[in-house]
Amino acid sequence: MKFNKKNSALDALMLAAGMAVVGLACAQAPAPAPASAIPPTWAQGRTADGMNPSLAPNPPGISAMPADEIPVSKLKVPAGFKVELWASGMPNGRSMTESPSGTVYVGTRFTGNVYAVVTKDGKREVKTIAKGLHRPNGVVFTNGSLYVAELSRIIRYDNIEKNLDNPPAPVVVFDALPKDEPHGWKFMTLSPDGQYLYFQIGTPANIVVPPYTHATIVRLNLKTNILETVATGVRNSVGMDFQKGTKELWFTNNGRDWADENLPNDTLNRLARPKGMNFGYPFCHQGDFLDPEFGKGRSCDEFDKPEMKLGAHVAALGMRFYNGNMFPAEYKGNIFIAEHGSWNKSKKSGYQVVRVVLDSKNKPVKLEPFLTGWLEDDKFWGRPVDVQMLKDGSMLVSDDETGAIFRVSYGK
Amino acid sequence: MKLVMNTKAILGVAFFTTLSLSAASHAAPPDALAGKVKAQTCFACHGEDGISVSSEIPNLAAQPALSITYQLIQFRGQQRKGGAMEALAAPLSDQDMRDIAAYFTSLPPPPAKSGNADQIAKGQQISSTQYCNSCHGPQLQGQKHIARLAGQSKEYLVTQLKNIRSGTRIDMDGTMGSAARGLSDDDIDALATYAASLK
Repeated sequence: MKFNKKNSALDALMLAAGMAVVGLACAQAPAPAPASAIPPTWAQGRTADGMNPSLAPNPPGISAMPADEIPVSKLKVPAGFKVELWASGMPNGRSMTESPSGTVYVGTRFTGNVYAVVTKDGKREVKTIAKGLHRPNGVVFTNGSLYVAELSRIIRYDNIEKNLDNPPAPVVVFDALPKDEPHGWKFMTLSPDGQYLYFQIGTPANIVVPPYTHATIVRLNLKTNILETVATGVRNSVGMDFQKGTKELWFTNNGRDWADENLPNDTLNRLARPKGMNFGYPFCHQGDFLDPEFGKGRSCDEFDKPEMKLGAHVAALGMRFYNGNMFPAEYKGNIFIAEHGSWNKSKKSGYQVVRVVLDSKNKPVKLEPFLTGWLEDDKFWGRPVDVQMLKDGSMLVSDDETGAIFRVSYGK
Repeated sequence: MKLVMNTKAILGVAFFTTLSLSAASHAAPPDALAGKVKAQTCFACHGEDGISVSSEIPNLAAQPALSITYQLIQFRGQQRKGGAMEALAAPLSDQDMRDIAAYFTSLPPPPAKSGNADQIAKGQQISSTQYCNSCHGPQLQGQKHIARLAGQSKEYLVTQLKNIRSGTRIDMDGTMGSAARGLSDDDIDALATYAASLK
């Protein structure tokens, strides 16, 4: 799979301008000075008679709230559970992973930092182990190395655990990914056999016929360095996890904007076949909602369906299965999903961690709030991004607004 | 790749014991009066009234508070550089930044600048085709963390747009980079003239 980086950006530009056919045909020609630019990504697809035009994205969280100002007491969990502030001081801390020794690595989207949270003698220390990276949102730890997914490349820090105070220069693993900024940050996870890094290449716009490289989930073979597409028609997935037992990949997907305040839903999806599934973007959303523009002449029957609808604009990001032993038995095998929260709904939704229960046939049958309290009176003070189960069976939740991580435990 | 260790937040057990006491209190609200005291250093260049002393230095009067805070955070983190602001922002706490921002945002906006009518008309046209208003607001007055451009120094705007176009200035989320990429020097000049002419 080869990428022509320059052309993919150009394609995206021209496709977004509605020149789908022309864009591909003249990708090799010198770019003419654009007569009219394209709107910023977030405003694409917005119609004057559509949703409230005064809605605009929330400012990204780029600073850390001091620990003693974080209103952790406002967070609510079901009876028997406890939520506490676990670590703070990580501006824009987002995706998490835990190493075998218990170090938690945290990626960012806006600050370019990667953090390591070390627990020693009951004390927690946050170390900034990398700065100046380009949207280092994805983190995976394996074989003593930390892999970081930047916007357009995968890098690796070898023997990192012994060198947290003096990290080595990173090794570039793969640097031929598209450079589109919209939906260019990555969520990354390791396959159960340890051979592949799975991550998404998001669509370079809100709603557009994407280049064939985009709106995909791909995997990078760590031995051969070959990149393969495993799923298409995925607008942007910023959370995925392999299910224990079936070893199937489940992932969240963010629905398009500006079609309707209550449509389409963000979705929870299952990769039932290792290759070849198409989840519909940009033609069909949530398995049964034809795109008002791109859906013309198409049918949702052409595409694979999500396992569950999660709500419109909730921004379902990080998701993980609960395989631990600390929570009550009925939580075993559940899926927890962090909802970053809406920005283009008149009444805000999301801003919570939800619990999805699967039945004996492995079908999601129940969706309920689990950790709430970031949103009050339609105002938010924090935004959950990722969930990470620790070896002790407790669950961490990152919040890129406060730059903090919370821990949910049960009992005691 | 530079390795920097300057963010070290130590969370001790002691902290958690005090948390229950302090959780009820919130972050101090931004204080414009305190901000004025903290902003004394700023005045030499940006003016006590938020109107800068030189055309290459931005006016801060009536800038959205978050836009000032965000730029200070990025200077402090050395993600944005220029005008010795990295060094000046280095000792500031988040609260200092919020207070300083509260002061400057409370000031009357800078006066509209006169300019060549053709340039202003051309700039308005480009502003429309480039969708500047969708983030910067209908009169380019700024909102949330998005900068106010109305009444800003034209020379400053030209420099910043060129720096964003070349990648010299940080592009927080890619939006400004893609907006500036297709602009010619003439386009930038017209846009800046137009923005400066707004009140």
